[in-house]
Amino acid sequence: MALDQDLVRHLSETSVSVSLETPNMTLNIGPQHPSTHGVLRLVARVDGERAFDVHPVIGYMHRGYEKLSEVRTYPQITTLVNRIDWVSGYANEVPFIVAAEKLMQIEVPERAQFIRLILTEMARISSHLVFMASYPLELGAATPLFFALRERERILDLLEGVTGGRFHPNFNRIGGVKPAYGSGSQTRKLPQDLPAGFFAETRDAVEHVLGVADEIESLVAGNEIILARTKGVGLLPVDVAVSHGVSGPNLRASGVAFDLRKVESYLPYHRFDFEIPTGAVGDCWDRWWVRLAEIRQSARIIQQAIDGIPSGPLQAKVPKVIKVPKGETYVRAENPKGEMGYYLVSEGGQGPYRLKIRSASFSNISILPWILEGVLVPDIIAIMGSLDFVLGDVDR
Amino acid sequence: MTSSPSETETTVHPLQEFADRVAKAVGGAGEVTFGTVKVKVPVERWVESHRQARDDLGLVFFSWLSAVDWTVDVAVGDPPSGEVVDRFEMLTTVADVGEGRRVTFSTDLSKDDPVISSLVEVYAGANWHEREASEMFGIQFEGHPDLTRLYLVDSFIGNPLRKSYPLLSREVKPWPGTVDVEPMPGSAAEPSEPSEENPEA
Repeated sequence: MALDQDLVRHLSETSVSVSLETPNMTLNIGPQHPSTHGVLRLVARVDGERAFDVHPVIGYMHRGYEKLSEVRTYPQITTLVNRIDWVSGYANEVPFIVAAEKLMQIEVPERAQFIRLILTEMARISSHLVFMASYPLELGAATPLFFALRERERILDLLEGVTGGRFHPNFNRIGGVKPAYGSGSQTRKLPQDLPAGFFAETRDAVEHVLGVADEIESLVAGNEIILARTKGVGLLPVDVAVSHGVSGPNLRASGVAFDLRKVESYLPYHRFDFEIPTGAVGDCWDRWWVRLAEIRQSARIIQQAIDGIPSGPLQAKVPKVIKVPKGETYVRAENPKGEMGYYLVSEGGQGPYRLKIRSASFSNISILPWILEGVLVPDIIAIMGSLDFVLGDVDR
Repeated sequence: MTSSPSETETTVHPLQEFADRVAKAVGGAGEVTFGTVKVKVPVERWVESHRQARDDLGLVFFSWLSAVDWTVDVAVGDPPSGEVVDRFEMLTTVADVGEGRRVTFSTDLSKDDPVISSLVEVYAGANWHEREASEMFGIQFEGHPDLTRLYLVDSFIGNPLRKSYPLLSREVKPWPGTVDVEPMPGSAAEPSEPSEENPEA
């Protein structure tokens, strides 16, 4: 509420003779508040309308995946990691699988890499569409939700058609990808490729997404209430962001044109032409705008990838029982929420010796005590929503 | 990292060069392991190395901090393949936000007295990561402003990510996956490895 801030300052500076008693009060937000996207609890000291000493309490969704990974095999772990950030489940699998493939020194067929890339971008679009739906809703505008979720459902239907799962695809295999055809002995009798018409339907869905992005922009960008509540609110300077490890769209909104898709090599992004949208000042509005712009860029990438997808197998030759040779590596990827990475330590077994999961939302919300210091209580909702975190991605 | 992925296998040289440059700057030993630059530093130079990485090398982005429990005496999973020295290996990864360079720092901690200086002064983001490592491994971070539990409840006993800590649910009931594992097609001749090698996993 940028307008109100001036008013408050004005009132506090003019000498009003009546002194208003505003004793400190402790305010609990959550753990089951809708704006927390999961179960996050904030304990804040409230003085009048302003919050101080905001203390996030996390761990309500801690599932211990790092420990669990030590007793699971590599193929079993993909089913765990796509539950970390469930809004973009597919995108979580890729860096883990790439890390294992790196240690095994497997060359993944090009067609499989392209399919991974297309599905990753579809996961990004669907994740950003959830943000486009929920963020205006938290600020009181319900209409964009219907536009965004309609398109998201189309994307999820396509993902389900290929992988068999809307949220938890479990589609990646070490050495490639595995479309969902039958099970058990039937698998071998069917052609190992994507369902017929997938590319045509995806092209169609991408067109729709581009259309709805324009619609959402016209709904939100012209909404004076949303502008007043987001412009100049929740400013995040670059130096604070990087020292806290804030990554992804939240960092780019502060003006840093840094995208792991441009500098890391986990998928063949270097073959495609796309831009890195950045914000101007790093407020809530910029964080909203960057995500909208990223939807358009992802649509561009998908269109190019479909045009250029090579033919060939979807799976490299791998042993029946996957054993990853001794070694360690860190593989990070640009996920919809930011930098998602896995530090994989293998000792030659069927499962990792240690798997450190670096999730984007964890570092992104570690900024909360800093960014919420002294803001108005209603702005807490606006700022939290703009950081676009998912508690599964925080707690792992 | 270079920007061209097709070069990853062949660009060992620039990466190794970078690893050596970082190692020289911070006073450690650098290696490249599967595309990851890893620099080992002495524990007493832990904070100073990170400060130099941030100020002199421009690695301003704090990615993560964690640890590895090295021991042959494990309660869960498989032990390491060879002999290892009992220790905690502290790991951090810091990066820049331009060219995509990143360094994983590593140092060894004795298990008898797992104390290390906190990085919060250098990277504010280390705060939560150190709280997590503290409760999960029982490592003390000297100079940390608020070393309280992050995930676990206050009444929790033990340090779950230590290899000596058993996976309690598996103690009570064996993992069903090892009981009803389907035989691999055409693998009648070869023993099904998952069920035999590690029955209680």
